Amino acid sequence: MNVLGKYKSVVSARSTDKEILKASQDGGIVTSLFAYALEQGIIDGAVLAGPSSRPWQPQPFVATTRAELLKARGTKYNICPQISMLKEATRSYGLDKVGIVGVPCQIQATRKAQLYPIGMRDVPDKIALVVGIYCMEVFPYKGMQLIVEDHAGQKLQSVKKMEIGKGKFTVITERGNVTQLPLKVTHKYEQPGCHVCLDYVANTADVSTGSVGSPDGWSTVFVRSRIGEDVWGKAMAAGCFETKPIDQVKPGLEMVTKLATEKITKNQKTVDERAHFGVGKALRNPYI
Amino acid sequence: MGKVVEISPTTRHEGRSKLVLQVDDEGIITVGNWISVTPVRGLEKAVLGKPMEQVPKLLSRVCGICPVAHALAAVEAIETSIGVEIPADAHTLRVILHCANRLNNHALSNIFTLPDLYIPGTDRKINLFSPEEPMRSIARRIQRIREIAQGITEIAGGEAIHPTNTRIGGMYYNITSRAKQKLTDLAKEAVDIVKTQMDFMIAVLRNFQRRDWTEIGGRQIPIPRNLGYHSEGYLATDSLYGTSSRTSVQSWDPDHLREIRPWNFYMGEVTIDLEDSTYPIGGTTAAGTVVHPKREATNAIPLYNGRPVEVGPRARMALYQGFNEKGTIGQQVARQMEYMTDVHEILNRLDTLNTSGKVLTDPIPPGDGKTLAWATTEPARGTNVHFVRVREGKVADYSMIVPTTWNFPVCSKALSGAPWQLAEVIIRGYDPCVSCATHMIVLDPDKNVVAQNLIR
Repeated sequence: MNVLGKYKSVVSARSTDKEILKASQDGGIVTSLFAYALEQGIIDGAVLAGPSSRPWQPQPFVATTRAELLKARGTKYNICPQISMLKEATRSYGLDKVGIVGVPCQIQATRKAQLYPIGMRDVPDKIALVVGIYCMEVFPYKGMQLIVEDHAGQKLQSVKKMEIGKGKFTVITERGNVTQLPLKVTHKYEQPGCHVCLDYVANTADVSTGSVGSPDGWSTVFVRSRIGEDVWGKAMAAGCFETKPIDQVKPGLEMVTKLATEKITKNQKTVDERAHFGVGKALRNPYI
Repeated sequence: MGKVVEISPTTRHEGRSKLVLQVDDEGIITVGNWISVTPVRGLEKAVLGKPMEQVPKLLSRVCGICPVAHALAAVEAIETSIGVEIPADAHTLRVILHCANRLNNHALSNIFTLPDLYIPGTDRKINLFSPEEPMRSIARRIQRIREIAQGITEIAGGEAIHPTNTRIGGMYYNITSRAKQKLTDLAKEAVDIVKTQMDFMIAVLRNFQRRDWTEIGGRQIPIPRNLGYHSEGYLATDSLYGTSSRTSVQSWDPDHLREIRPWNFYMGEVTIDLEDSTYPIGGTTAAGTVVHPKREATNAIPLYNGRPVEVGPRARMALYQGFNEKGTIGQQVARQMEYMTDVHEILNRLDTLNTSGKVLTDPIPPGDGKTLAWATTEPARGTNVHFVRVREGKVADYSMIVPTTWNFPVCSKALSGAPWQLAEVIIRGYDPCVSCATHMIVLDPDKNVVAQNLIR
C-alpha cells in the first residue's frame, strides 16, 4: 500500500527567511510558500489558523498581507475549522485566488468542495494553492488544556511552543521551562474522529509538509500536483528555500513511511470495527 | 359572437400561468384573463410562529430569481415591526445588493423579450441561441451583465442566490476594502456594457414599434399602435430602494389597499371554441376544453383605491421621473432605462461605504406585536410589499403582495384591443415572475376558514 500518496518530488527543506524562522514550528515552509505566492500574485490571500482570544486556541482567518501571514506561524495541536472561512474568503473578502492550509481531513474537504460544490457556489475555481500538513491526530481545546495544565503543569498562557516528536509531547514556556510527557498519556485526549482517518501526509494537497523525516529545524516537503510543482519550482528559483536531498538526511523517508503506516494500520482497525457496530444497537457516544 | 381561446402555458417568463382570452371575429381581445396556475406554496402560513431570524431566510425561497427582493423586504418589515434602526453601512450594502439584483433581472428579462423582436431593417427575429453575429455578441453581453450582477450580489450578500449576509438588525459582515475595490471594478466594467445594452434594446424596441406586423405561427399579425395600453393607475413606493411604515412621509397608503379574491375578478366557466395549432410551441388549447379561470387562479387581486394598479419600472419612472410613454413598448423602454440607474447607484453607494463601519445594530428587541408593520422594496418587477407583526421574537402575522400579483389584474385589462396572438408579448412587457405571485390558500369553506386578508 502506498501510504505516502502520489508525489512528483520530495525534499528536506528550510526557509531562507530569518523572520519566518524565528517563530516557525520547523522549516517555516507553509508561511514562506504562502508569503512567496502572495508576493507574486499566485494567491490573493490565504485561509490560515491564527490566534484567537484564548491562548493556544486557533481561529481560522483570512490573511491578505505578509504581516498577517506571520501571525499564523507555528503548529497549534488543536481543532481549527479553516473550511468554514473558505467560502467567506471569496465573498466579503473579495478574493479570487485563495490559498488554504490544513491537515489531511481539511484538504480532503477542500478537494471534495471542489468536486461537489454544494453550498460552495463559485468557490472551486478560486482555490489556487492547497498546502497540507502531516497529522497523526488533533486534540480538542479542552483536551489540550488538560495535557498542558494538568499533566505538564504549565499555564497555557505561558507556553511559547509545543512539539510532538520522538515519542514525546514537549511543552516549552516563555521563561524556558521545558516539560516532556510520554505521548502515551496524551492518547486519551485525542479527538475520536481522528481515529478513522487514513491519510497522514495530506495525499490530496498541492504541496504537503511536516517535520517528520527531516532533522530539527527542517521539514520534509512532498510536491504533489502540477500547481504545487509550478509554485514550488518558482519559489525555489527565487531562493525562498534551501534544500537537501531526502536520501541524505536522517531519519529520512523511512520515518515518514513508518509513521504513516502506523497511523493507517491503527486507524484501519477502528474503521473495520465501526463497520461491525451492529444494527439496532445504539452507537457508543465517542465523547463520553 | 366572440370566441374563447386559451394559451396554456404561457412561455418565456418565470413560473406557470395561462391566458384565457375572449376575442371578437377579427381575433381582437375583448376580455383578457391572465391567471397564475402555479401551485400554492403557502410560505406566508409556513412562517407563522417561526423565530423572526429565520423568516427572511425562508421567504427568500419564494423565488430563486429575485430572492434578494424578498429577503430584503422581509428583514425591513420585521425590523420595522420590532422598531430597530440599522447602521448606515448595512443599509448601503443592502442598496448595493438590491441594485445588483435589479441589474440581473433586467438582463434576464432581455433574454425573454428579444425573441419577439426583429433585427432592425430585416424581417429576422432575434434568436439568442444562434451562433451567428450579432446574436452571439448580444447573448454574451447579456450574460456578462448577469455575471457581474451575480458577482456583486455574491460579495455584498454572501450568495448569488438566496443572500446569506442579510439579517435582522443589519448584515452579518461588512465587506473588506479589497472586496469593495472588486465591486467597484465590476460595476465600472458594467457601466459601458450596460449602456451599450440599453441603447441596443431601445433601438430594437423602437424598431418593433415602427413595424406594421409581426410574424407569429407563420402569419403576419398587425401590431396595434396602442399595444398594451391601459387606463389604470400606477403604484411605486420609491424611485430606487423602498420604504416602510416607520418613515414619516409615506409614499403610499396601505389603508387604500384592498385584496379581492380571483372569483370576484376573473371570468367563470367557459368552453374553448377557437383553436390554432400553428401558434408557437404546440398550439393553443384544443377546442371543446372547458376552463374555469376564476377557480383555477392561484393569485389574489390587490386593488389600490379600488382599481388595479401597474407596478414596475414604468410605474417608478412615471411617478418619480415624469416618464409618460404608455403601452408595452413604453414599459420595456422604461425597464432598459433603469439599467443605468442601477449601475450608477452601485458606484455611488460604494463611494459612501465605510468598510470598517458597524453593520449590525445592538440590542435587537423582540417586538411587542402591537402594530402591523410593512416594508416595501422596489425590485425589477415592481413594488414588493411585506406586512408583518412580530411578538416576542416570533412572527404572528405575515402577508405579502408581490410585484406580479399587482400586475395580474392590470395586465389582464391591458390585453383588450390587441390581437390575441400578441397577448404573450404584452405580458412579457410586465416581466412576470409568476411563482411569487402565488399566495392563495383556498380551503374548503365548509370545513376550514378561507384565507383571510390582513389588510381589508
